[in-house]
Amino acid sequence: MATELTVLPTQNLEAFKGVKKLTVEEYFTSGHRTCQGCESALVMKLMAKAAGPRTVILGSTGCMYVANTTYYSTSWVVPWMHTQLGSSGSAAVGTAAGLKVLMRKNRIKQEPINVIAFCGDGGGADMGLSSISAALTYPEYNFLILMYDNESYANTDIQLSSMTPYGANTTFSPPGKARRILHKRWKKNVAGMLAAGHPECRYVATVDASYALEMMNRIRKALTIGGPTFIHSLDPCPKGWDYDPIQSHDLGELAVETGVWPLFEIEDGVLKFYGKSKGIAQGRKRKPVREYLLRQGRFAHFTDEDIEYFQKKIDLMWDRWLIPGAVCIEMGDDIRKQLARAEQEVAAAEA
Amino acid sequence: MTGSIEVVYRGIFQKTLGQRITRGIVLAAVKEGKVGISFGRYGDSPERNGIPAKSFAVVADNEEDLQTYLSRYEPTDNDVTVAVDDTLCKGVESWAWYGLQPINKLTQPGGVVLTTSMQSPEELLEDCHRKDTEWSLAVLKGIASFSGLWVYKDDHTDVRVLGAIARLAPHVVKLESVEAAIQDEWQDELKVTSARKAYERVETRKVGPDEGNPEKPYEFQLPKWWEMKEGLVIPGIPVKQDVEGWEGGYRPGRNPTFKKFATRTMRPVIDFEICTKCTLCWLQCPDSCFDVTPTGHYDANMEACCGCGVCEAVCPVEKCVTMVNEAAFGDNASQFEMYEKDTDTYKSWLKGKIEDKVTTDRYHGFQLRGKYEEEVQEIIREVTK
Repeated sequence: MATELTVLPTQNLEAFKGVKKLTVEEYFTSGHRTCQGCESALVMKLMAKAAGPRTVILGSTGCMYVANTTYYSTSWVVPWMHTQLGSSGSAAVGTAAGLKVLMRKNRIKQEPINVIAFCGDGGGADMGLSSISAALTYPEYNFLILMYDNESYANTDIQLSSMTPYGANTTFSPPGKARRILHKRWKKNVAGMLAAGHPECRYVATVDASYALEMMNRIRKALTIGGPTFIHSLDPCPKGWDYDPIQSHDLGELAVETGVWPLFEIEDGVLKFYGKSKGIAQGRKRKPVREYLLRQGRFAHFTDEDIEYFQKKIDLMWDRWLIPGAVCIEMGDDIRKQLARAEQEVAAAEA
Repeated sequence: MTGSIEVVYRGIFQKTLGQRITRGIVLAAVKEGKVGISFGRYGDSPERNGIPAKSFAVVADNEEDLQTYLSRYEPTDNDVTVAVDDTLCKGVESWAWYGLQPINKLTQPGGVVLTTSMQSPEELLEDCHRKDTEWSLAVLKGIASFSGLWVYKDDHTDVRVLGAIARLAPHVVKLESVEAAIQDEWQDELKVTSARKAYERVETRKVGPDEGNPEKPYEFQLPKWWEMKEGLVIPGIPVKQDVEGWEGGYRPGRNPTFKKFATRTMRPVIDFEICTKCTLCWLQCPDSCFDVTPTGHYDANMEACCGCGVCEAVCPVEKCVTMVNEAAFGDNASQFEMYEKDTDTYKSWLKGKIEDKVTTDRYHGFQLRGKYEEEVQEIIREVTK
């Protein structure tokens, strides 16, 4: 006999209806030691703003740990705790479970408290993937894991991560005379992978801080829906991507407009594209990736041939993947035929 | 005898430049039979774009003197302090430093602060803090180098500074050895010419204890680890600051131990008259630097602004937000207060700041691909003439 889970209620965080309706308070404020134009700092700010005051935040090692909480100096307004590089998942489960127990034992007031654990692409996609995966199988705890992906180990001066895009210049993959492209791997699609493998996880989304309102509303959704949730954010990084800090916002938009970064959300197993990606998924023209790549110094060594290859890979994702950005699988001929047959049968039955 | 040089530079943007200068000093000293070492400051690592960082070169007559000198955290009595960006004359608030360190703080009495600048020494002295002893300010004419980290866009600033150092501190390195080291390292006669021209052209001005910016640099004491709470817990930042007469406005709490005065190379100036209060600058600012005024305007707070320029990029109104060279400002006062107090004065102030391109124009050197490389050709023609 199945025993019923006790799941605590979540805060009812309604979607913001527009930029003029936003709350004015900041829960991650100024005075952090990030780079000029740091998009990840913006992600922290918007995440904290969307979550509100009754929130506990856990951060694994990375820029957003080191830069924001140097010795006795912090920008956090809400409680924040550091956790080790690969343990954002376990820290999230542990904190949510701890709060639940404390409330059950009446040690603290019974109230819904948001638990958010964030990690960088190194802490999340490389080191912490197994702990995040484990965390997403616990339906009885409410928490959000947010991965801010700036596509390298930017904190320690740009080492390659599994999220670094093809061909990018990093300290591990400098272009040289003998070999122009040292990094030939294609980045993982973490959000899709986690959504596909964790049936108890009710909400997974990709976000982009250049679209602040949409991003904050996805955070609110993730915190309201209950259970473990995951959000993957792409953050342009002026240090690692080597561009003028003034372009952070534009690059975030270009990543979406060129189709490099598809925005989607998967709610209770149903996927939908949103924002500019919605139009792209319906066939609207994408901007050429050239515009996106050539603005960044990390691709300064790219030749036309390299850009063409990059474009082809993006085209392939939108044209052939089962779900662009999420599931890099095509249906085999057998399944295709089967589906066609099933459709015919339905049509015949209706007729 | 030992000699030490510190190079203060903009993190990441000028990291390679800083290393090339201190390395060059050591290579030149070796030509004279001396020994030396070039190193970055551990506390500045990992570097952040624009946040001031330091690189040092120490040279000595023999190994023993060098070792003796190096048994300290960092060189504190530098013969020459080099600021490869003149806005650093406002002070250094680095990763490791809490508070604002005057640019000449680690310059020894009688030592020199050398900066690359288009400003006059008098203008620069408005920024440099006062020092108890006499010191000198040397200016090497040129814009702040944005030669970059990844792809080094050689604008000859490295060798020009080396040439100038040979003039200012011949007991550390002489011009002949600098020239020989450059030739060895880069096999480029043009770079040697640049160094020699800089040696001839660098201008020095003596500065007395009564000259310079009289402002007391902001500083504070941090608690020792045994004074912290159990578990090394520290208090969070209050969510709001109460400002008198700001009913309806909102000024967020701000980290009192890290302000961004010295991180900025540019700052936004705002035309409140044409502002449509669209919220975008406030919303998209990674540093939460905008205060919401009682009238619903957004006032960039200079305590928190690091000068990234995202506000200018997102503003939908033309010329409402303009990024202006930080060198053009003498204080960190609120623009909105100035606007409220006297709109006409503010408007003419604003106009002056935006239109005076000579002193106010500035960018990070690579807004467009290849633009700095093009400019570099012009710069090199100029400095080797």
